[in-house]
Amino acid sequence: MRSVKWRPYLFVAPAIIVFLVFFIQPIFYMIYLSFHDWNFISPDKTFVGLGNFKELLSDPMFLEVIRNTLMYTFFTVLFSISIALLMSIWLNKQGWMYSFVQGAVFSPHIISLVSIAMLWMWIMDADYGLLNWVLSLVGLEKVPWLTDPNTALSSLIIIAVWKNIGYFTLIIIAGLQSIPKHLYEAAALDRTPPWRRFAKITFPMLSPSLFFLTIIGILDSIKVFETISIITKGGPLNSTNTLVYYIYENGFIFFKIGYASAAGVILLVILSILTLLYFKVLSKRVHYQ
Amino acid sequence: MKKLSYLLTFTVMILVLAACGNSEATGSSGNSESDSEGNGPIEITYWYAWGDKIGENNENLVEQFNEMQDEIHVTAEFQGTYDELHSKTQAAMAAGNAPEVTQNEIASIETFAKAGMTQDLTAFVEEDAEEIAMDDFNPGLMGNSYVDDKLYGLPYLRSTPIVYINKTMFEEKGIDPASIQTWEDFQSAAQNLTDDEHVGISMPVDIWFYEAFVAQAGGEMVGENGEITFNGEGGVEALNLWKEMVEAGTMRVPGGEPQQASDMARQDFATGRAGMFFSSTADLTLMLQLAEENGYELETIMFPENEQRSVPTGGANLVMTSGLDGEKQQAAWEFIKFMTAPEQTAYASAYTGYLPSRLSAVESDTMQDLYKEKPQFKVAVDQLQYGNARPMIEGYPEVVKILTEEIQRLMLDPSLEAGDVLDQAAERSMSAIK
Repeated sequence: MRSVKWRPYLFVAPAIIVFLVFFIQPIFYMIYLSFHDWNFISPDKTFVGLGNFKELLSDPMFLEVIRNTLMYTFFTVLFSISIALLMSIWLNKQGWMYSFVQGAVFSPHIISLVSIAMLWMWIMDADYGLLNWVLSLVGLEKVPWLTDPNTALSSLIIIAVWKNIGYFTLIIIAGLQSIPKHLYEAAALDRTPPWRRFAKITFPMLSPSLFFLTIIGILDSIKVFETISIITKGGPLNSTNTLVYYIYENGFIFFKIGYASAAGVILLVILSILTLLYFKVLSKRVHYQ
Repeated sequence: MKKLSYLLTFTVMILVLAACGNSEATGSSGNSESDSEGNGPIEITYWYAWGDKIGENNENLVEQFNEMQDEIHVTAEFQGTYDELHSKTQAAMAAGNAPEVTQNEIASIETFAKAGMTQDLTAFVEEDAEEIAMDDFNPGLMGNSYVDDKLYGLPYLRSTPIVYINKTMFEEKGIDPASIQTWEDFQSAAQNLTDDEHVGISMPVDIWFYEAFVAQAGGEMVGENGEITFNGEGGVEALNLWKEMVEAGTMRVPGGEPQQASDMARQDFATGRAGMFFSSTADLTLMLQLAEENGYELETIMFPENEQRSVPTGGANLVMTSGLDGEKQQAAWEFIKFMTAPEQTAYASAYTGYLPSRLSAVESDTMQDLYKEKPQFKVAVDQLQYGNARPMIEGYPEVVKILTEEIQRLMLDPSLEAGDVLDQAAERSMSAIK
């Protein structure tokens, strides 16, 4: 029977080894690199201590990058969830039209982000794009969607929201359908007005789904890369440069691996704090039946 | 059942271990694979940037090389833009599976050489002095080949920017393209071309063009000791010219991501909305085709002069990656020699519009016939006597990005002062070049 003791470890060993080699080791390597000045290839890495972090935090461009990332994340998640909530309340009915719209709204989710980026680049083109053509039909002025520093980040948020809504709606509809009918029946007996029914039954019962969507929405948006790399390259005037693109740019275009790793460590810290926050604070407020 | 699970676990463990061991082995001894195979050809990989005509040219030349001999087999792989090519090469170097031969955009030669990613070719050239005939390379193109007096790259697909002109539109407005010699001529031609539907020139903010104007104004981008000097007199004068033209509405500057902005400028010119357009001579074949499709005549002229006539050269040099064993090095060298030989440079030039990088190639029948048939090809070669190297300091790619941003800021808000914008760019660049 003694042999049983080591058997569980043997069983989990492959998973643990893969986890250590591909997840834990790179994180520690990144932290190690963040204290060095290195160009990725030369044999000597110069130790610079906290130099990279000092440089990062005193760089106005990096602060702009953080600001862009937070703005992008906040508005993307806010609009994605609120629009998806409205959509799902509207679409949570039987009938071929509703299922058709559900399918149509979901379709962006299964398209590759690269194709989406190319598509929207054309839709939002200042001169030949679809959006501006529509605006000109109703007599409105052209909007330089992607080429003006004031509108570029908003345009990227629109694209992200468009992409998110389908998946978010699906999750919320599933949440709505799992709310027990007897709660509504009880509320009907008490003649509860609709808005109260929403605030006291629908919303609390949906909170696990909304909580889940908030988490994946934030984690997803903070790591945005594809659309930025393809559509704006962080421009114009740094207005759409976000953390992950900034890391890529410094590491792989400017060959500043130490500096990029330091930014990577900051991303890691932000993500860890957010995750902790969810599970410590927010999860207590989520209502599970 | 128990036995089966043990067996399964062990199999998985062994597979995992074997996979780990294997990847280490290929890192160190992957190069010797071909020896053990015996008499097969030596396999080498070649990475190149840009598709379309340029990509076809690369593929065709590699095919010619493979058919010509059976000692070496080259596989050509497309890697996107120069930036993408560079970052992929770098990542591949770190992973230990870099291509044997690749391209360096000429401003990056020093960065790659100093990082130890590329092979010093001096010894190869000395050994093969007669065959390679270094004197035959156009001296105007050699400025970006040496780092600390050692040769790191040979001129391959090289270019200069030239002015593309919609001749049909010029004729309608009664302007003679040949009359554009100085900055004033250039400005007034742009003025005459501009009306409600047309604009003189459409130009993206591209530091390559800015380098041209700064040098024409007698300034320098980077000083002798690697210090930033583009915010000097010449730089300010160059930017003021652009600013004046934007304010007068004779120059359109599309915004957005650099590649997109340059596509938009090209579109403006191709559709006849802009009368002039700056681009690499490498675009010539494509632009001739576009002009024909859109029904106008295309002409090319040199960049205008101010204090002096000057243009930066551009394009890519061929380099060999470092850390190869003797056999691969020899194979890579044979391939580089072939690609940069007079016959191939003439072929590439005629196919794309890139410069013939060898003097003897310019004199060859292929090129002379081409110049007679399509005189547009000749301009870049004539202009090359005014060609200069691009700055090669480490960190230049980042300087380019910062400068692009600051100039774009001015283009969006022409009430700013050119001098302030450039000072700001110079200050921000300090941390990039260190």
